[in-house]
Parts: sequence; C-alpha cells; structure tokens
Amino acid sequence: MKHFKPLLMLIILCVSLVVAPLNAFAAATSSSSSASADSTNSAAADDSVQRIKQKGTLVVGTSADYPPYEFTTKKNGKTEYVGFEMDVAKQFAKDLGVKLVIKNMDFDSLLVALESHKVDTVIAGMNITPERQKSVDFSKPYYMGSKFFLINKADKSKFTSTKDFAGKKVGAQNGAMEYNLVKENIPNVQEKGLAKIPSLVLALQSHKVDGVLMDKATAKAYANNNSNLMAFDSHIKIQSGGIAMAFPKGDTSLEAAANQTVAKINKEDLINKQWIPQASKYMKSYKKANTVASYWTFFAKGVEYTLIITVISVIFGFLLGTIFALMRLSQSKFLHGIAICYIEFIRGTPMLVQIMFVYFGIGAIIQSMPALVAGIIAVSVNSGAYVAEVIRSGIQSLPVGQTEAARSLGMTKKQTFRFIVLPQALRNIWPALGNEFITLLKDSSLVSTIGVGELMYQTQLVQADTYKGVLPLFITMMIYFILTFTLTRILNYFEGRMKHAH
Amino acid sequence: MPTKMIEIQHLKKEFNGTEVLKDISEEVDKGQVICVIGPSGAGKSTFLRCLNVLEKPTSGKVLFEGKDLTDISDKELDELREKMGMVFQGFNLFPNMTVIDNIKIAPIKVKGISDEEATKTAKELLTKVGLADKADVFPDSLSGGQKQRVAIARSLAMDPEVMLFDEPTSALDPEMVDEVLNVMQGLADSGMTMVVVTHEMGFAKEVADQIWFMADGYIQETGAPDEFFSHPTSDRAKEFLKKVLK
Repeated sequence: MKHFKPLLMLIILCVSLVVAPLNAFAAATSSSSSASADSTNSAAADDSVQRIKQKGTLVVGTSADYPPYEFTTKKNGKTEYVGFEMDVAKQFAKDLGVKLVIKNMDFDSLLVALESHKVDTVIAGMNITPERQKSVDFSKPYYMGSKFFLINKADKSKFTSTKDFAGKKVGAQNGAMEYNLVKENIPNVQEKGLAKIPSLVLALQSHKVDGVLMDKATAKAYANNNSNLMAFDSHIKIQSGGIAMAFPKGDTSLEAAANQTVAKINKEDLINKQWIPQASKYMKSYKKANTVASYWTFFAKGVEYTLIITVISVIFGFLLGTIFALMRLSQSKFLHGIAICYIEFIRGTPMLVQIMFVYFGIGAIIQSMPALVAGIIAVSVNSGAYVAEVIRSGIQSLPVGQTEAARSLGMTKKQTFRFIVLPQALRNIWPALGNEFITLLKDSSLVSTIGVGELMYQTQLVQADTYKGVLPLFITMMIYFILTFTLTRILNYFEGRMKHAH
Repeated sequence: MPTKMIEIQHLKKEFNGTEVLKDISEEVDKGQVICVIGPSGAGKSTFLRCLNVLEKPTSGKVLFEGKDLTDISDKELDELREKMGMVFQGFNLFPNMTVIDNIKIAPIKVKGISDEEATKTAKELLTKVGLADKADVFPDSLSGGQKQRVAIARSLAMDPEVMLFDEPTSALDPEMVDEVLNVMQGLADSGMTMVVVTHEMGFAKEVADQIWFMADGYIQETGAPDEFFSHPTSDRAKEFLKKVLK
C-alpha cells in the first residue's frame, strides 16, 4: 500500500485536469455572452489592448497554405511566413508597438484557438459571415476576393462555368466560406472538404475531385506554378462583407485599434499596390528553387521533433502505464477504480480528440502551454493507458509463487516488484510493449493538427511550398518506415539479450 | 526449559466462507523439528503459510519470538520474515537469474550485504547442498532435485532462525527425493528449527522430534514419532496410517 501514496497527488492532478476545463468552458461561455451584451452598450471598457501591450506580443493565428494571402518561404533554411496578410499582421503589430508572433494551424482550428485565447486575432483570409459573427467579432474588411475554380488543364473544355459542376465533385477547405458557397450555388454537387489547400489540390490532381473552389489569388498562384492546372472565375456572388481580422467577442479596444490599421491600409491601398506584388515575387523567386530535395532541412527538423515527442512520450507513457497497472492491481477499490476509469476512458476516445482537448481545453487554463508540451502530454497520457494494460497482463502472467518466494525471503512489496516481478514481466511483455512504442511513433503524426513542427507538419509545409503533393508524402512515408524499422531492430536486440539471460 | 520460537493461538482461516483451519493452538520450540502430516485437503499447507503470514489468518494469533505476526506493521513483518525461511513444493526459483544470483539477491537487497560477501556465502551454501559447480547456470537447466536444493540454499542465505518446508519433495521424481531429504536431514542435525509439511513418512519417523497429525482443519494428535506411528490414538490417525503404511 505504502508506495501508492505518492500517487494520490497524481490522481488529484488527473481529476483536476478533467474537471477544470469543464469549469473553464462554463466560465468562457458565460463571460462571452455577458461581454457581447456589454459591447453593444459601450464600445470600450475592456483591457484587450492593454493586455497585449503588457505581454509585448501580438499572437496571430493563420493557416499558411494560402498564397498569396499567407504562405511559407524558407530563408537560410528557416521557415518564414509571408504573403500580403502577413504584411497586414506586421502593420497591425507595428501600430500597437509590440512584437508579432505567428501561429500556424489548420484553418478549421483557428476560431477555436481564438475563443480559447490561444491567439489574439486571426488573420487568415477569413471572410465576414453572419455565422462567424455569432461567435467572434470582425474588424473592418481590408480585402474583397472573388472566387475561382481550380481545375485540371485536361478538363479545360468540360468545365467553363459554375453550372458545369452540377452533379460533380467539388472540393473546398473545411470551415472556409467556399465550402458553403459550393453547396449553395451548384445543384446536386458532391462537396468534399479537406483541412489544407494543398491536400485539395492533391485531390484534384488525382481526380478525386473535379474542381476546387478557392480565392482568386490562391487559385491563380497554383495555376501559375503548376502547368497541369488552370483557374477560372466562378462568378459566384459573395454575400460576405469581405476579408477581415477576427477577434474574440468583447475585445473591443483591440478591434478598434485594428480598424485604425485597416483604415490606413485601405486609404493607401497598400495591399494591391505593394503587398500582393511583393507576395507574388516570393512565389516566383521560389518556383525555381523549390525542388523537394532542397527542403531536406524541413524533413530533418520534422524528424527531430518526431523523435523528441516519441522519446519523451515513451518514457512518460511507460511510467504512467506502470503506475496505473499497479493501481489497477491494487487492493484499494479507490485506486483500482481510478485506474479503470483512466484506462477505459483513454482507450475509448480517439487520440486526435485527446490532442485537441489538451491543447484547446486544458490550454485555455494554462495559457502559456506550448503546442509541443500539449502534444507530448496527450500522447503520453494516451500511451499510458495502453501500456498499463500490457504491463498488467505481464504482471498477472507471472506465477504467484515468484512473489511468495521473494516475500518469504524478507523482501518488501516494493523490492519484490522492482527486482523480481518487473524484470520478468518486462521480458514477457517486451514484444507487446515494442508494438506499442512503434504505434506511438507513428501516431505522433497526429499532433501536426495543433501545429507542432514534427514530421507530418513539416511535410504539409513542403507540400504547400512546392505545390507538389505526392513526393513529400512519399519521402515522409519512407522516413517513418526507416524510423520504425530502426526502432524494431533496437527492440529485437534487447529481446534477444533478455532471452539469453534465461 | 526450551525457548518457545513459534506459538500458535486459536488460529482460524476461512476461504470465501469455507473454514480450512478451525482452531489450532500449538508451540514450536527452538531447535525442534516438527513434521506435519495428514491426508490431502487437511489444511497442512495453509497452516504452514499462516506461520509466516503468506496467508493472513482469519482470526487467532501467530507469535514469533513473542511478536504477533498478525498484528504488526508491514515493515516489522518484512523484518521478521527474514528470519523465517520457506521452501516451496514448486521451488519458485527466479528463472531470470543464475543460481548464484538467486541466492545472493535477498542478502544484498534486503540485508545490504556487499556483493563480495554474498558471493562467498552463496558459494559455501552451494557446496553444502552439493551444487558448487552449478553457480553460473540458469535454473531451467537443473533437475527438480537440484532446483529444490538451490531453493534451500537461497533460504539459508538469509540466515533464518526457522525453516518452513511446504511439501518439498512432492513435485520430485522418486529418484531425486533422497538428495533433498539428505540436505534437510543435515540441516536438522545442525540444530535448525524446522516445520516440515511432508508425505515422506520415513523421513518424518527418522528426523522429526514431534509429529503433528492434521485432518479436517484440526491438529488431531501430536506426539513423538515412535509413539505416533506405533500407537496412534485418534481414529483419523489410525485410518490415515493404515492407508499410508501398508
């Protein structure tokens, strides 16, 4: 019993991790509803500008896969966010007198990030729509983009206007207004939503969809960079109020500051005169150098983060697994119950959901938690549940006589577990445990959804940068295989050694 | 006046409502060799396992050197168990360790003895049980008799005050029984206090100071071997001896 006591702290932590976000959500909803009521009455009286000036940074959420709005380029091997909206962001940060921090994530995660205060504002080619206005506030618009179809050049004669897509498959970005435009404007369309524009383009090239509806500037960028594609105007009438910055409800002073920046930008027509030409220069200058191989630093960085996540999560997953296996085998009904809840709950919910929950849910309380830490926590906690079951089976597979012999020699429970039970259990479960670690390495790719720069995330950057879909995926697949294959060899080596000692 | 080593008072043990040990009160003196015999299912093994509280008695007391093992902290119990060696029917050697590591681990981890000293003691004990040449092999490569001798050496390495034997020869091929019994006889001759649950009547007759005859959850009868084997008093003992001593 004695060695279970330190666990109590851990249990309390676990319980609070589950309960606290619920409170936070409740608080967030109530405060946002009261804040929106306030904003209709009085425009000022919030501290959002003051808050940003105090921390000295403006955190801007974006989805950098949308040239020329925002996309990545590499300078000296480092990823840099460029595009005319990034110039808007820079201008806004400059006007506020703070440093700009860009957070890159999936488009459909942006509003969640905004509501959970992971970012201060979203600048991501986001159109003002009545639906969005229910959950966030917008600045004045700074750009109006018409919508273009991107199609395969081979289909040039088949598709010349929007009505040609009737009954066909059309792709659009998840959570983007194009997705609704497709549904509303094309009869009998089969709409297909994906998180990233490059994935959509890939789907187009492999004829999974017949066309992709996207912003004019983006569509043209793809058509210019890929001779197999072409773009044409959809002439779909847009109800939206244009593209603007999004803010959490109630951040009225920040919104007012943004409107000043927007007014200045609009007055000098900076976007059309300076920033779009600049952005297309980036796109052109790079078209020459954008062979996939030249992005090896991206892959190297990705491997580094993937390994960091894997190694740390394997260690913590193993520790958690051991602790929960012991709790599950404990005489105490309380500890046993907690272990059962943990194992069943974690195994019964998707890892992707857990990752997002840790980042957006728990991250709403611990604001400073980086995505990498959130990812590692989620992966470790997930792995712990599976490892716990593997270890439990290992312990239970040992004859009870082993424990009795050790206890009769005067060993304490702890010593018996440490010197007699665990080494033997470990040998028995090694193959299953190895399996679990390999799964963990592969599943770490899921944390790319919250913007951790591991291998899968870097792959998406390379895809966006090079306008090539399959080759980066293939390279990544090979890298994962090499990693898991190496891991298997290492595990086999230890298995062999343990067998030898028998 | 012999010193009492173990004192059992009104010991009872139930498993899920079934009474296995009904009411046992006995004493073991220092240096005494007790052989517990009786029909299968009499509760002999359970009784022995209650002596070092591998099974926790349902009620009653087990006093070892004056301390009640059923009513002390885990820490004290662990310390007292060091002084009570136990040998199992199924040997229970640690299969992932060599023979000598099996013997050394408890002295090193529990008593904090240096590796060097533990190795020396272990080698002496292996010589004593006639297995000096098997120090570095793994248990799987030993015969049953050899395994049980290693198990005895492993218990002795903790320098116990009393040794408990739970049917130590029952899992052995007949030709290996003697090598184990000889080691036990040597141990008895050297003055070790022993409680032996056994079906080896010859050994019991020869080595025991006292026979405890168990049946139906009670100790039915106790006595010196000669007396017990020639003039059993209880009906259960008479019936049992008629069956085993044809």
